[in-house]
Amino acid sequence: MNDRRRVNGPPGGTRPPVFQSGLQSSNPSDRPRRQRQPAELRKIFLKTGLIPSASGSAYLEFEPSASLAANRSNPKSMIPPSSALKLTCTVHGPKPLPRSAAYSPNLVLTTHVKYAPFAARRRKGHVRDSSERDLGVHLETALRGAIIAERWPKSGLDITITILEAEDDRWWGEPPDSHDASWGIMNVLAGCITAASAAIADARIDCLDLVAGGVAAITEDVGASHSGSGRLMLDTDPAEHASILSACVVAYMPARDEITELWLKGDSSKAVLDDGDSRQGHDALIDGAVDAARGSYSVLSEAVKESILNAVAHA
Amino acid sequence: MSNPRQASSASQTPHLSPAELSYLYTSLSLPKGPIRPDGRSPTQFRPLTAETDILPGTNGSARIGFADGTQAIVGVKAEVEKTVLASDILQQDVENDLQAPSDRRDGAESTPSAAAGGHGSWVQMSIEIPGFRDDDALPVFLSEMMRESLVGSVTDAGKGRDTEMAGGLKGRLVINKRWHWRLYIDVLLLSQPLSYPLPLLSLTTHLALLSTKLPKLKSQGEEDPFFDDDWGVAEHLYPRPSPSASATSSQIRPPVTLLVISVGDNVIFDPNREEISVADAVLAISITRNSEGQGLKLLSIRTIDPPSRLTQPGVPNSENLSTMAATGNSDNAAAANPSAGQEEVPGVWRPRRGGIKRSVITELTRTVLKKGGVGEEVLEGLEGVEV
Repeated sequence: MNDRRRVNGPPGGTRPPVFQSGLQSSNPSDRPRRQRQPAELRKIFLKTGLIPSASGSAYLEFEPSASLAANRSNPKSMIPPSSALKLTCTVHGPKPLPRSAAYSPNLVLTTHVKYAPFAARRRKGHVRDSSERDLGVHLETALRGAIIAERWPKSGLDITITILEAEDDRWWGEPPDSHDASWGIMNVLAGCITAASAAIADARIDCLDLVAGGVAAITEDVGASHSGSGRLMLDTDPAEHASILSACVVAYMPARDEITELWLKGDSSKAVLDDGDSRQGHDALIDGAVDAARGSYSVLSEAVKESILNAVAHA
Repeated sequence: MSNPRQASSASQTPHLSPAELSYLYTSLSLPKGPIRPDGRSPTQFRPLTAETDILPGTNGSARIGFADGTQAIVGVKAEVEKTVLASDILQQDVENDLQAPSDRRDGAESTPSAAAGGHGSWVQMSIEIPGFRDDDALPVFLSEMMRESLVGSVTDAGKGRDTEMAGGLKGRLVINKRWHWRLYIDVLLLSQPLSYPLPLLSLTTHLALLSTKLPKLKSQGEEDPFFDDDWGVAEHLYPRPSPSASATSSQIRPPVTLLVISVGDNVIFDPNREEISVADAVLAISITRNSEGQGLKLLSIRTIDPPSRLTQPGVPNSENLSTMAATGNSDNAAAANPSAGQEEVPGVWRPRRGGIKRSVITELTRTVLKKGGVGEEVLEGLEGVEV
């Protein structure tokens, strides 16, 4: 039954027009390339206490890649070649649970990760989709290991993360369905973990240690002469790599040398490691991610120190 | 279950007293090998009954029941769908303008495209667990975890092998450049989730996919697909090895996700509800056979929030107000808040804190992947099931 009272849109989806000139600008030579060393991380901007109404908050931003910085200073295309992660995290609580809630001997942690509608190249809806819910569960696992939950009986802690700009899953100039694995989400998770840990520290909730997130990936580049030449890279920007074979996120507590969250996916068996390195691909990948997490921990601890100094100065 | 918001990935908060938890933990972490409540060995799975092809209205289905009464049914449905891909249309338009038609095919084949390699979104998975809404964290987490390994298991096109499965499940769903299959995998847990339902659901999905048949294609090449209406000649989604092929080329099978916990220094597989509630670490590890049929390949690892973090702590006698002499006034501060005490008292349960040591992760994955290890045992067991 068609609705005769209004003009209906076409039954199938429509696609925006694509112009020849636009296609030619996306030739493969414009593909952003990684300018960093394999073990070099992007710079992180992390600041706490930006949202006064929350008990703790943090803002995290990754350094734009070299190609993005070049495009900003000398624009060749209106479309940015890659994106840089930006997210905010707020912590509300610990606060008493509502009267209707069941008794809980421990702190009830609620994590809520949401992409802003404009965060990714494709618009996200206002209702959380399954990948956002999945991210929320991963973040909850990462933080629950660090929080001493039995110190806060009958209380709740709400952690809300809004992602303002997400990482791309691939270079935008590639055909939109050339590969569909969502690698960007792993960088987003690592950023979420680091920012949430800073915000929890900003809310003065005592934890076992700060939790830092790190990403490592095994990548295969365009110029690879033969397949089976995966290289281990830390803190990969998916836009800078032609293909990512496997990636891993960890949430790591350096003081205890413990991992609270591990998420590894993809085929890690093709990794080519240095001579004399007898580790298997997945072990090397996890170690790489832990190294990346150690790197972001140094930023995290500085940010937390700054937040405490600020609090002391204003006290 | 009282608070499903809280019962996210951590399954359910266990309803055991601190004394019971402590007893369980001690017996499971014995250095000479754990003593499990049901007498299994650390790597032994619960006995189960399995049957396939139980639902006539589906392309493939399976049912698995564990001895404790938990049951799951999986139905797989396939639909033909038109491939709408921006890149292909772009490509054809450009090539129509620029190139002779004879060159077009070469150009199309050289560029990687979903039309050739398939797309992960063509596999849709939904999990229904009683007591949970379908947008609760646990079903979403479980379905993402299982879909990720299904879609991600791309086998290399080995020599002399059936190239049909070269692109993995995604590649198999491609009919031609304009049409593909869409696969709906619907998982239904029939009973209450007595234990963390992941192993049950993963095994059932594995069997259902193995029994899935797609009608035989009669059309060729880029024609609109047209199928043989004889269900008897339908082809399996995961093709069977032809009897003439050598014994070395084993059948390609869907991946399996195993649940592994560590308690103390022990590694325990397929934990039941009581065992998982005292676990130090819980990992879900997805594996499949290597393309050569030898050894195992790791597809994904995810940590699962151990429910032991949500348990209630026990109170040691030294801090217990009811057993303490009334003169213990000096310790009153500590006694009023037993959780502030940091030291471990043997025999008194404390909720687990912190994460997993790096060496424990290595140990867990090694036990799964090693030759003759648990992973191979499980896959061999599944290969024994007549599908």
